[in-house]
Amino acid sequence: MITHEEANELLASFALDAVEAHEHAQIEAHLAECPRCRAELDAFRDVAAAMGNSVEPLPEGLWETIASRLPERLDAEPPPMPRLVAEERSDGSPTPILGRRATRGPLAVMGAVAVAAAAVAAVLGIGLVQADHQVSQDQALARGGAAGTVVAALTTPGHQVVNLESAHHVRLAQFVIANGRGYVISSRLPALSSDHTYQLWGLIGDRPISLGLLGRSPQQATPFTVASTAAPSRLSVTIEPASGSVVPSGAVVASGTV
Amino acid sequence: MQQIGEVSDAQLVTSIARYSEVALAEVYRRHGGAVYGLARRVLNSPTEAEDVTQEVFFRLWNQPDRFDPSRGSLRSFLLAQSHGRAVDAVRSLNSRRLREVKDARRTATADYDMEHQVWDLALADQVATALGELPDEERRAIELAYYQGHTYVEVAELLGQPEGTVKGRIRNGMRRMRALLVEAGVQGVDA
Repeated sequence: MITHEEANELLASFALDAVEAHEHAQIEAHLAECPRCRAELDAFRDVAAAMGNSVEPLPEGLWETIASRLPERLDAEPPPMPRLVAEERSDGSPTPILGRRATRGPLAVMGAVAVAAAAVAAVLGIGLVQADHQVSQDQALARGGAAGTVVAALTTPGHQVVNLESAHHVRLAQFVIANGRGYVISSRLPALSSDHTYQLWGLIGDRPISLGLLGRSPQQATPFTVASTAAPSRLSVTIEPASGSVVPSGAVVASGTV
Repeated sequence: MQQIGEVSDAQLVTSIARYSEVALAEVYRRHGGAVYGLARRVLNSPTEAEDVTQEVFFRLWNQPDRFDPSRGSLRSFLLAQSHGRAVDAVRSLNSRRLREVKDARRTATADYDMEHQVWDLALADQVATALGELPDEERRAIELAYYQGHTYVEVAELLGQPEGTVKGRIRNGMRRMRALLVEAGVQGVDA
């Protein structure tokens, strides 16, 4: 993990977007925990902005291009969130949905995932319990140094970074996977009510495998396990009852290719 | 009733979060030229600079909460976004080829008021003066990094100097720049 002095030494270069890629992640992790460096970075960024403040006439038609590609949602209520599997849960209550600000448009459905889900429920049930037990242990370990855990994963050779996005390609979370272990790098998923949780699924073939519960408000370094399964081709996050589900029952709020 | 031109940047961003395209258009009017100008300077390609400008405004539309007014002005935030994307593009192989291509297709139609033009010109003058007061080696390192999109490691290679030396020169130069700009009365880049 990068020290305060090392990060501080690189802040000016960071403000100029002139650090190496591997250093970028380390500095960001440090900034998340160091208000002093954040303040110094803001000052450097103001200098950079002053240096880059060379206003030019805008090309004709550029605004029209931008405006024509904005998602249509100005005055319309957001459409209801698609159901992943069932129209109603077993107790008859509606499937929980995210608030308006967080969804910003229709959300994706996992598609083929739902078809196979019921058939593999029994197998997944066992996997889910084991995975969640591991998650509890790791969450306890991770409390000591979230940024350090993430940086360690990010500096592991062969690690993979997975961006999870909404249906409209808005990035909602970023995960890192290294040596069969995964961690939340960052999350913009809005906090849920206490009776719900985000649940992470790995898509293996057509099958969603539970990789663990992320909690109602996923924090940096929240861990999950992928080692006990084949490598998933895709990660998806759904909203589930607080105890989790053996098969996805809520809508997919974010997903990304591994 | 308050005119859109009188609304603060922070209020505009709040409106963008409520899906106001009018607010986004006003932010584009105020800051689009700066976003585009910086991207064009780094990329040396009007076409690519247009792509970067689009990206920056799509991102503001989709993630307005990424702008934190307590950490700086909207202009500063948007310029950082523009620079980051321009540098990403310039570091890609395709872009390096495209940089050589001259693209003259450009028509000026900015709706940009005189007061802000004067302000921008004054700032550009102060920045040029401040850069001119830096020791040559600090100015060279900063210019190679910021305007040409090189990492400090690449700058060290280009200048034939140790990485640690270049890192230190960028830091000292930026601190000196800040002091000079503050002394000149520039406290931010909020237009």
